[in-house]
Amino acid sequence: MQMGFYFDQTRCTGCDVCIVACKDWNNVPAGPASWRRVATIEEGRFPNLFVTFLTTSCYHCSEPACVAACPSGAITKREEDGIVVVDREKCRGRDHCDFCLQACPYQSPQFGSEPNAKMQKCNLCLDRLEEGKKPVCVDSCPMRALDAGPLENLRTTYGQESQTEGFIYSDEIKPSVIFKPKRSVVITSR
Amino acid sequence: MAVTEEVINTICLHDCGGGCLLKVHVRDGVITRIETDDSEELQYRACPKGRAHRQKMYSPDRLKYPMKRVGERGGGKFERVSWDEALDKVASELKRVYGTYGASAVLRLGGGGDLGQLHGAEPTNRLLSLMEGYSTTWGSASFEGALFASLTTYGTTVSANDRDDLLDSRLIIMWGLDVVSTIHGNNTRYYMAQAREKGARIVSIDPKYTNSTATFAHQWIPIRPGTDTAMLLAMAYVMIKENLQDQSFLDTYTIGFDRFKDYILGIEDGVPKTPAWAEAITGVSAEVITILTREYATARPAALMPGWSAGRTANGEQFHRAVMVLATMTGNVGKHGGNSGAGVYGQSYRFSLGRILAQARNPVDEGAPRRNNAFPTSGVIGSSSRIHNSKVWDAILEGKAGGYPADYKLLYVIDSNYLNQRPDINKGIKALKIVEFIVVQEQFMTATARFADILLPMSYFMERNDITAASGLPFYGYMNKIVEPYYETRSHLEIASALAERLGISDFNDKTEEELLKEIVAGSRDIPDYDTLKKNAIHRVNLSEPSVAFKEQIENPQNNPFHTPSGKIEIYSQQVADMDDPLIPPIPKYIETWENLNDPLTEKYPLQLITTHPKLRVHSQFYNVPWLTELESQAVIINASDAQVRGIKDGAHVRVFNDRGEMIIRASVTQRIMPGVVDIPEGGWYTPDEQGIDWGGCPNVLNRDEASPAGAFTSNTCLVQIQKA
Repeated sequence: MQMGFYFDQTRCTGCDVCIVACKDWNNVPAGPASWRRVATIEEGRFPNLFVTFLTTSCYHCSEPACVAACPSGAITKREEDGIVVVDREKCRGRDHCDFCLQACPYQSPQFGSEPNAKMQKCNLCLDRLEEGKKPVCVDSCPMRALDAGPLENLRTTYGQESQTEGFIYSDEIKPSVIFKPKRSVVITSR
Repeated sequence: MAVTEEVINTICLHDCGGGCLLKVHVRDGVITRIETDDSEELQYRACPKGRAHRQKMYSPDRLKYPMKRVGERGGGKFERVSWDEALDKVASELKRVYGTYGASAVLRLGGGGDLGQLHGAEPTNRLLSLMEGYSTTWGSASFEGALFASLTTYGTTVSANDRDDLLDSRLIIMWGLDVVSTIHGNNTRYYMAQAREKGARIVSIDPKYTNSTATFAHQWIPIRPGTDTAMLLAMAYVMIKENLQDQSFLDTYTIGFDRFKDYILGIEDGVPKTPAWAEAITGVSAEVITILTREYATARPAALMPGWSAGRTANGEQFHRAVMVLATMTGNVGKHGGNSGAGVYGQSYRFSLGRILAQARNPVDEGAPRRNNAFPTSGVIGSSSRIHNSKVWDAILEGKAGGYPADYKLLYVIDSNYLNQRPDINKGIKALKIVEFIVVQEQFMTATARFADILLPMSYFMERNDITAASGLPFYGYMNKIVEPYYETRSHLEIASALAERLGISDFNDKTEEELLKEIVAGSRDIPDYDTLKKNAIHRVNLSEPSVAFKEQIENPQNNPFHTPSGKIEIYSQQVADMDDPLIPPIPKYIETWENLNDPLTEKYPLQLITTHPKLRVHSQFYNVPWLTELESQAVIINASDAQVRGIKDGAHVRVFNDRGEMIIRASVTQRIMPGVVDIPEGGWYTPDEQGIDWGGCPNVLNRDEASPAGAFTSNTCLVQIQKA
């Protein structure tokens, strides 16, 4: 079984609550490490613009590049649900190694500002999953634009789309995410 | 042994109209995490601010102890004192000022922005009323223009539909409305998305391409600030010329349309309000105006939803009145999926709560006649003893000699960074230096708190109990005390009670916080019982359908007159005519703002400044919360073409200035704002250097301290220049 995310890009308002809820739940201080991020994609020139948002976390890939790249055996993919987790005790720290960050096309491995920061990242809120809850980002979204669960179930519910604005699906590592994309329809004013 | 973590529900305090449910995890008396509503639909999910309370509440900057000023006032140097010493000093200063100058010399400022019904300014208001009274202010910084228009047109401020009613709309016009940043009623953005998914067409009219525009709108119409009324009048012109108005609706429910029509067609003043006329003023093409008019007039039901921003301009009342007239002309009032044009003002059903303390009569309010621009129904708020919120600094500096109602000697500031959030800070500083005594109740060392003589540290809403009735959707909330107050902080009720003892006011209050809250709940017709409300923190009122303002009046006009003097929707208002002020005309008119683009001042200051609501703050609150500031730092938002001619690169620090003040602020260069317009989101914390230049990005160093003739705030009417630093 492979757990994954669903993101409805047409719903996202770029409000950033998923980021803050994640930091609060997972006790991540303000600083460079953020398990979830929101990018704003802006195209066009005034007044003909297209703007959309993309929220990103670890995609718990089928063939995670970070696992393969880690020389310390600190990153593993769980057999039972495909969630990619990091053992921070085993991580050598960023002063010595950033192979995972180099390998990941989605910048999912995150490092705090402390000296020799150990890698940290989204674990799909394992503690919440064990309680039968969704990840905190999913439960925080006022637009109900996020979901998480077994990828097969998500595909049944939401479809197969693996591309969206601002995101490139990697066939090599197979990120566990599906989308409802917002197409580049230019809004015109006159 | 497992550490036990308790989860206590509460409602977010802030008055964005949200009132979201927070599920607060607490362990050993310390808040560890915050979740949001995961119960039955409709859920009231919190925004990033609601999720960041833990970091604000436990901020190292939080005020812990009462303090007294040492050194020069405003110098920001304080010394810890005991509560007894602080309260004794406040009480003795109150006695001295009452004895020496009389009650009107005591000026109570602030006390807004929060949803709590018990804590806030009310306990202090009661106390000062039981003394000899106090001076205070009028003029909401949020929506005074909308309030005036709603009272004029409909005779009430309760004039909006519930937000879920948007699901029945075929066309929604967001006019200066960004529900992503301002919330404006819980789940408004969620309904906006669902309305679009159901097929509604959505148009955004705004100088900025907001996140709401990006997410919901099919069309963006950028418009020059302060000119919105001209576009609305041109829409009325097109409707009249093409006979698109709902004439039978106008005949049945309104008075004064003919006089409005004479003005629109130019019969009154020789100027037909054509789309071409409006194009020259607004920058919106005549064709766009004409097409939108046809859409709005024919797509029924349609919701014309104004935010309050376009009304926060000089003559902003006219904008809201014109919106309401268009809603009337299209027959969208009182109908599902329609809108009265009140958009986001006031819930359309009435909450019922019991009395919040026994309110005492304020002799200063009651001893003065009504202001010329106040309605007979406005009660004490219409008292001429009140100072408009944008004129307080001038009133302090000029006093009676300058035509103001009193000479002000003592300021009592509650829950408000008043200096930061009122126009013309440099004038404000002069005023704060000349009064005799300032007491400030605060949680942080704000620009205002720095001017206190006595600074009283306040508890957080999670450190006391309170109750609320939120707006926009039908629910009641209970704000639970979750942890003990931080260090020596106290609640509003505790402070007012302690002062009452010192001032010998024996009948201030003999009830506990909980007894008072129980009384408030007992006065409600909707809430079944106190304990259940307290446990769940939310009571959802089940309505069979979304509440629609004026449904009764429209369905059965014979038995349900409007609350206006004529009993009709007043396009022409005799009450307003009686105010006899050419700048407050009895029908809505386009009146040029000051500091507009025809002003010779544009030679020096060519850019129009707007001050939008920041997404990650509630006005000036949350400015000091790292989880939020790391996501969006304060900046002046400027179009790439305006930046280019000034040699300004994205992220560079620049000078923004006019004759009133100057700041250094980072520039955010974008295509998402129209050329000629710049935005400094309100609420940046004023941080002056020795020369008085602000480094905190507070637009009120630039804004003019002038109220619109009928009281609208004018924080979006301002000319500035920007240069490379």
